[in-house]
Amino acid sequence: MASTVIGAGITIEGEVTSDDDVVVQGTLRGKLVAKDAVTVESGGVVEADIAGGPVSVGGTVTGNIHSSDRVDLQNGAKVIGNVKATRITIADGAQFKGNVDMDV
Amino acid sequence: MAETTVIGRTAFVRGRVNGSGDLEIAGRLEGDVTCTGEVTVEAGGLVAANVNARRITVRGAVKGDLTADDAVVLEGGARVVGDLRAPRIAIAPGGLVRGHVQTGAAGAARPRAASSSARAATPARAAAAAPAPAKSAPKAAPSRPAVVAKKAPPRGATLAGTRPGPPPPVVPALKKGTKAVHKKR
Repeated sequence: MASTVIGAGITIEGEVTSDDDVVVQGTLRGKLVAKDAVTVESGGVVEADIAGGPVSVGGTVTGNIHSSDRVDLQNGAKVIGNVKATRITIADGAQFKGNVDMDV
Repeated sequence: MAETTVIGRTAFVRGRVNGSGDLEIAGRLEGDVTCTGEVTVEAGGLVAANVNARRITVRGAVKGDLTADDAVVLEGGARVVGDLRAPRIAIAPGGLVRGHVQTGAAGAARPRAASSSARAATPARAAAAAPAPAKSAPKAAPSRPAVVAKKAPPRGATLAGTRPGPPPPVVPALKKGTKAVHKKR
């Protein structure tokens, strides 16, 4: 319940570290490390490497995504960067450029 | 339209936070906060940053200056080390403050931003005007001050009237055999 929400009008330039969920609706530049779920909502812009549990992307991510669980790219997502996860889904309409490493 | 940003209890943000909307800090924040809405530092929040906002409410610990356009409210468990500047300041019983507290002078945040950009314009212009006549490259000087002048028109108007200084004195080359005694200054 102590989730971190980065609201729509906010820009954070720096590191965000959390033990709980992080929801990004605004802009984040720097680094994002979460122990739990990370959600980048539509309209969210993350120019940072993301490390976390399950990652769900609906917005724009420019940076590598390193997940301990699954990564879901939704319709409207735009990801430029490498993704390392155990499971991944890329929905129809998502844009993605990078490597995928599923630790096979 | 802009929503509340919440920095959760277990979160740690280090860097600059800018934007519109409200901000609630229940975790740790280091850096700088500039926000046009309301900033609330919750009871477990630890903030090591200067905070500029429309309204600041503190229930936790803050190390940094708090500047608000509207009000700064320190509630019971607040601990602040830093200056407070706002038109209205409230410190509830139990709140701890160490720093300079200044009420009244409204808009401490915004004109400071405007005057600092004007002050930045002044040295930029002065520095640009000095080498300009010597290097005979006056094009560089007007381009930069012209851009900054738009932000602070009163300062820009006075500075635009500054003409470049007098040209450096020309020392005539001494030919051999001339009576250097007379020509020397």
